[in-house]
Amino acid sequence: MYIRATGNISPQKTFGHQPLVDAVAYTGNRLACIEPDYKDFIDPKQIRRMSRIIRMGVAAAMECLQEAGVKVPDAIITGTAYGCLEDTNSFLSKMVEFNEELLTPTSFIQSTHNTIGAQIGLMLQCNNYNNAFVHRGFSFESALLDGIMLLKENDAANVLVGAIDEITNTSHTILNRLGLYKQGPVSNLDIYKTKTKGTIAGEGAAFFLVANEPSATDYAKLDGLHTFYKPEGIDEIEKQIASFLEKHLVSIADIDLIITGKNGDAGEDKIYEQLGQTVFNAKEVINYKHLCGEYPTAAAFAMWLAAVAIKSGELPAALNYTGSADKKINRILIYNHYQGIHHSLSLLSAC
Amino acid sequence: MSDLKTQIIAQLNLQDTKPEDIGDDQSLFVEGLGLDSIDALELIVLLQQQYKIKLSNAEDGPKVFKTVRTMAEYITAHQAQNA
Repeated sequence: MYIRATGNISPQKTFGHQPLVDAVAYTGNRLACIEPDYKDFIDPKQIRRMSRIIRMGVAAAMECLQEAGVKVPDAIITGTAYGCLEDTNSFLSKMVEFNEELLTPTSFIQSTHNTIGAQIGLMLQCNNYNNAFVHRGFSFESALLDGIMLLKENDAANVLVGAIDEITNTSHTILNRLGLYKQGPVSNLDIYKTKTKGTIAGEGAAFFLVANEPSATDYAKLDGLHTFYKPEGIDEIEKQIASFLEKHLVSIADIDLIITGKNGDAGEDKIYEQLGQTVFNAKEVINYKHLCGEYPTAAAFAMWLAAVAIKSGELPAALNYTGSADKKINRILIYNHYQGIHHSLSLLSAC
Repeated sequence: MSDLKTQIIAQLNLQDTKPEDIGDDQSLFVEGLGLDSIDALELIVLLQQQYKIKLSNAEDGPKVFKTVRTMAEYITAHQAQNA
């Protein structure tokens, strides 16, 4: 399965396929997406009904399709954990404000989790397979797995797969109150040094056009994807990693780079640190959540990063990577976990 | 009618549209302002929220929401009845 094109809106300057030269620094526990001028991608008449997350998702999808040169994909599959929070918040607030009467339809219509996939389908006049996965920390991986199955069963030749999640003022306040995020001034560029509880809130919209046939301009080959839920301990995680690599006939020595989902939370990062002593020992390991923040579909950002690194043969300059800089990156393993519950492994290699 | 146009723009989030861009007798739907059925529901809510007017007969919709002027006339007539 080949990653033919990408589209990514994130808290970094990732949209427009420009090289990621400098990491954008944020102070505080919330990273917000850098949004493009949507009028270049979406009809102004349609923009007016779209909330921020819908615009982000649709624009990232359009950029991905443009790069692939595909007008109508064989399938559209999205993954989101939170869904369209802004519209949901607006709809619920109006229910309270107007005593469950006089509800405007737009927020309700746009508040469902499949809104973005549906909007993309409507814009493209695409009546093909269209599905949305809402599987918390596995939402992106489930969407991708569905795409893989469609391609393997030859039900589709190309599939648009994406992950979208937003953080709103309300959700940030609630999640902050629950203790998910760091307190006090913190720079996203320093989160791994803090060794304190909590991470930084993030968001993003990343889309991929995946196909079962290679093309001359592919980013990377997706060799494998695996998810596991609530492992009992580090031993089980190590076994899952070993078994995943074995299944794909790869040893840890064959991996040029490991991308982990370290997020700066001292408790959650313990897993990565323990693996650094064992399975990942002496391997080149980088983290990415200082760039995009933590959110349930952040693994899509990691996949974008891996795809870009493999296509160019090197990591974006914004990562300040000083490892084996002279060695071309041909194979990357992504290991991510969300709150220690949802764990995923992805294996990408050069085409 | 200028106030009503401002309310319509706000309710429907008609970005880059100013009240003076909407003609008093310009058709609101299809070839005019290009509104659709979801907008019609939003306009019904606008009448209820702003003017406490409930569109009792759905068949009146096309006539009432034809233009800004027909909407204004409908509002004026109902406000006179309620006064």
